[in-house]
Amino acid sequence: MSAIEDAPRIADTLLDCSVLEMGRLMREGTISAEDLAQACLDRIERHDGALNSFITVTKERALDQAAVATRELANGIDRGPFHGIPFALKDNVDTAGILSSSHSKIFEQRLPQESATVATKLEAAGGVLIGKTSTFEFAIGGPSWDLPWPPARNPWNPDYLPGGSSSGSGAAVGARFVPAAIGTDTGGSIRWPAAMCGISGLKPTYGRVSRRGVHPNTFSLDHCGPMTRSVEDCAVMLGACAGHDPRDPGSIDEPVPDYLAALTGSVKDLRIGLVRHWYEDEATEEVVDAVDAAVAVLRGLGASVETVTLDPLRDYVDAKTAISTAELFSVHEQDMRERPQDFGKLLRSRVMVGALVRAEDYVQAMRWRAELTTRTMALFGRFDLLVTAGWMAPADPAEPDGFDFFKKRQLATMPFSLTGMPALNIPCGFSSKGLPLSLQIGGRPFDEATVLRVGDAYQRATDWHLAKPALS
Amino acid sequence: MSKTVPPEPATREEIAVLAKNAGLNLTPELFEELVEAYSHVEPTLMRLRRGRDRADEPAHVFDPRKFMPVQV
Repeated sequence: MSAIEDAPRIADTLLDCSVLEMGRLMREGTISAEDLAQACLDRIERHDGALNSFITVTKERALDQAAVATRELANGIDRGPFHGIPFALKDNVDTAGILSSSHSKIFEQRLPQESATVATKLEAAGGVLIGKTSTFEFAIGGPSWDLPWPPARNPWNPDYLPGGSSSGSGAAVGARFVPAAIGTDTGGSIRWPAAMCGISGLKPTYGRVSRRGVHPNTFSLDHCGPMTRSVEDCAVMLGACAGHDPRDPGSIDEPVPDYLAALTGSVKDLRIGLVRHWYEDEATEEVVDAVDAAVAVLRGLGASVETVTLDPLRDYVDAKTAISTAELFSVHEQDMRERPQDFGKLLRSRVMVGALVRAEDYVQAMRWRAELTTRTMALFGRFDLLVTAGWMAPADPAEPDGFDFFKKRQLATMPFSLTGMPALNIPCGFSSKGLPLSLQIGGRPFDEATVLRVGDAYQRATDWHLAKPALS
Repeated sequence: MSKTVPPEPATREEIAVLAKNAGLNLTPELFEELVEAYSHVEPTLMRLRRGRDRADEPAHVFDPRKFMPVQV
């Protein structure tokens, strides 16, 4: 094989590196930021036709940003571990002058004037924007086949879905098109695609990462966070985008610690509560076995694990659903009244039903949220972390009539959405069909550091996160 | 705490009234979509916990400082 014929393989090897390894190679001059960006662009060009993970690829801008990063690093200007790192943004995140469609006909031509805070922060950290990724319509209605762009596919098998709503971000990171992407999460939209695509996805604490410039889904439940292959990469990306934003009313002014420094590899002093009753009768047998095996690994590493009982999963899901349904309608009510035909059918169903939720229902759901959150937080008197299943089943088949959101299994992600706690999904096995399975780790508010520490320790002891899908 | 208010599932006629009150002017096809969606959401609303102590606060905090002008 000639060097030219071998070039794609060499570039792909580059994309197998961790974010820290990429940074080291750039700083020692072995590669440039342009090499990295070009490797991403080439891989997207070769394979994304089968996965639909990107709506927009910002090639020229990426190469320009990469050239700046290379020059800065050569001149001793080092913006930190995200400098020169290629990344993608979910398309509900505003980017000035770049299509920000939320994957909807409603916003098919929308070019924002200003970028979201999270985009600005990542670029200020030296990140190189490769493009904007597909999503469920407005981060909730999907997977849909009646939108201007097709739904994303699963990199482990394109006949299956990648989960959602951050479907393109999950698929793009899983396919190694980019090492890092931003997703948004209202009930599990970072963690579900992370679980389905075999990657690590962190929903930070409510208020930790700014949502200014991110299209709202449910104001009181919306989060924004990193999706990467490893927990270590997650720590790098979170460090680059976390922090108080006075322009986001939900943002909370808490110091941002050094997340990388928290990754000690040890879990010996940690007390973990295992919420097994949320998944033992709801999840597939393969998921139950994989999560139990992952818990055994944590025990083997020295963590103290005790099974705990919380309120039934359905209580969290009911409270979250009532809140979301009401808030979602308030976001879209004008379009729903004036141009309902321009929504995809799945989103339209979920939006218009919110018109029927009474104000009293909403307030009662918010009172229930307070009660459930108080009881959940009480466990942190005895435990440092909670673990449970990341998702109840492997990926669903990609069939236009084969997916009914209202009939899905209960969502193990929603308790952490409702309570605002940080929660991390990491791969912990594969199904018999070769589709990824996932473990979920939740922590105290603003203690992402401990959540990441446990996830990283698990990944140092296992290799599920290193598995690579064979793209056609 | 009581759990079922309203006690009975809404009829199609009642759903039509609720939709009209919400300002939705739906085609017959869209009305069918609404009826189908509501059949999944209504049980959730019926399961909401009610009958709380009068002073039980919702998970809602209003901090007026959040709405002061921001110096950019």
